[in-house]
Amino acid sequence: MSSLEIGIWSMPVLLLLIFLRMPIGLAMIVCGLGGTMILTGGETVVLAKLKNETYSTFSNYSLSIVPLFLLMGQFATLGGMSTALFKAAEAWLGHRKGGVAMASVGACAGFGAICGSSLATAATMGQVALPELKRYGYSGGLATATLAAGGTLGILIPPSVVLVIYAILTEQNIAKLFLAAFIPGFLAALGYIITISIIMRFNQGDAQLRPRIPYAERMAALFKVWPVLLVFFLVVGGIYMGWFTPTEAAAIGAAGTGLIALVNGGITRASLSDAFLKTASNTAMIFIIVLGAGFYNSFLALSQVPQEISGFIVEQGLNPWFVLIIILLLYLLFGCVMDSLSMILLTVPIFFPIVSVLEFGLTPEETAIWFGILVLIVVEVGLITPPVGMNLFVINAMDRHTRIIETYKYVLPFVMSDVIRTIILVAFPGITLYLVRAFY
Amino acid sequence: MHAFITTIARFMAYLGGAVLTGLILVTGLSVLGRGLNTLGHSDFFEGQTFFPSFTGFLQSFGPINGDFEIVEAGVAFAIMACIPWCQLQRGHAKVELFTSFMPHALNRSLTLLWEVLFAFILIIIAWRLYVGMTDKMRFGETTFMLQFPIWWGYAACTFAAFVACIVALYSVWQYILDLRSSADEPSLERHS
Repeated sequence: MSSLEIGIWSMPVLLLLIFLRMPIGLAMIVCGLGGTMILTGGETVVLAKLKNETYSTFSNYSLSIVPLFLLMGQFATLGGMSTALFKAAEAWLGHRKGGVAMASVGACAGFGAICGSSLATAATMGQVALPELKRYGYSGGLATATLAAGGTLGILIPPSVVLVIYAILTEQNIAKLFLAAFIPGFLAALGYIITISIIMRFNQGDAQLRPRIPYAERMAALFKVWPVLLVFFLVVGGIYMGWFTPTEAAAIGAAGTGLIALVNGGITRASLSDAFLKTASNTAMIFIIVLGAGFYNSFLALSQVPQEISGFIVEQGLNPWFVLIIILLLYLLFGCVMDSLSMILLTVPIFFPIVSVLEFGLTPEETAIWFGILVLIVVEVGLITPPVGMNLFVINAMDRHTRIIETYKYVLPFVMSDVIRTIILVAFPGITLYLVRAFY
Repeated sequence: MHAFITTIARFMAYLGGAVLTGLILVTGLSVLGRGLNTLGHSDFFEGQTFFPSFTGFLQSFGPINGDFEIVEAGVAFAIMACIPWCQLQRGHAKVELFTSFMPHALNRSLTLLWEVLFAFILIIIAWRLYVGMTDKMRFGETTFMLQFPIWWGYAACTFAAFVACIVALYSVWQYILDLRSSADEPSLERHS
């Protein structure tokens, strides 16, 4: 077998192992190291590489953003800001038809601005919003589906752990990627709110309206979320203004949310240790995958597979838009069964070289940013597509009275809204790139 | 035994969290120091004459020297220290799509196989880290700014990796015990 064939064969093997429930990170480590051993004809190269690879991956300065953002998300959860955000959103949107559900989406968007992870956003807002939705008579299916969809805003609206990983993989500017994620994130929240209002038009169920609240009270409720805004502008604005590096921004964001939690009395011995344990679990999970992806991708590079595939695609003279759509459809398909981070780490090293040689009438950097946001959106759709959508599971598990099939049913309109938004963003790259072009 | 291992894994996770918190403080102080220094060198404070000692006071601040080297070494340890807890909680990401289609016996033997393989890989990683550390010791490599030996970072990371190995081996043992004592598959799958 040629090295190219070995590289290509490694892909079905890896997928098979993953589908046989091997932890994804472990499967990548095994395939990466095993493949390299076959290519280099022995274990010498692998053993030599392992001496430094683990440490250099774990001590990577840019990657250290990830545990910091995770800790920041945990602190944000402890800070009681989720309640304040929900109250503010409810004051502004609550009196509309489906208003409490819309408020949940709004609050998720707000929480996403200080939290870089979808699961944490869904779980945190679920604790606050689910009881309220139930109290106002929303059906369990709609309530859980709304929160599962709203949770995906956690990663769309910067800061975002997945965008950080994408930026490192493709050597792009994190600040520009964060900036580019804004409008799509806003459109996502808007799309979900419209979805809710359409669902309400067809089937209102027992959902009640809240009384309209005077503007003075609305402003007062909005004012209570100022710490969220402050932390958000410090982190995202600070990176953009060049006050600090993204890693420093993450540290400052974590310090900020930690301080909010401390002031609001959210930090006790029990809650702090719980926050550390959750951070530990997520950090370890992510970095095992990152380590595995490092091994696997350097094996693929050694086998020349990514170069050969992108060369092949160019030779075929296929329509660039056709190729892009196929790639995005593949992401949607895989998103139904795999988590977003593994998918990004596994596929971007293969797909990015392909996309970067295609001609969309954009500069190479613009293509990279635009593609990154598109990928982020389609993998996030994966979090809410049945049967395996992590957000669906997390939220559904919080509501004992709602069967998962109900959640599946109600989440489909939200998935539709995601698909429509993706089509718009694919057709008009200028929407995603607007802020980047305006500010740089 | 179970209590002992759980305590160790938990302790390592706390330690990782504490180190991360420490890194947040170091970075925060460094940014603050740099900010004050920049302020002291701004046109306004350079130009003002009624209170020159304050300008000097501002200029006396600065970023913490080589702060990113502390962050790099610290975060490597923190990440490795997180692994034992994740291992014990079986918190690693996997695809459960075909679980319900496969016979129970197959599911269980696969889970055991992956646990064993995971422990094996972690042992290899810890062993190579240790060898890497001895290399760094032998060549006396130091970091660029702070000039502290690189092997210190390796040593902390190796220590955490060895704990991860112990916990992973225990996790295998635990799984075998579970298999023997009950045929109740769902209770084996703990999700965090």
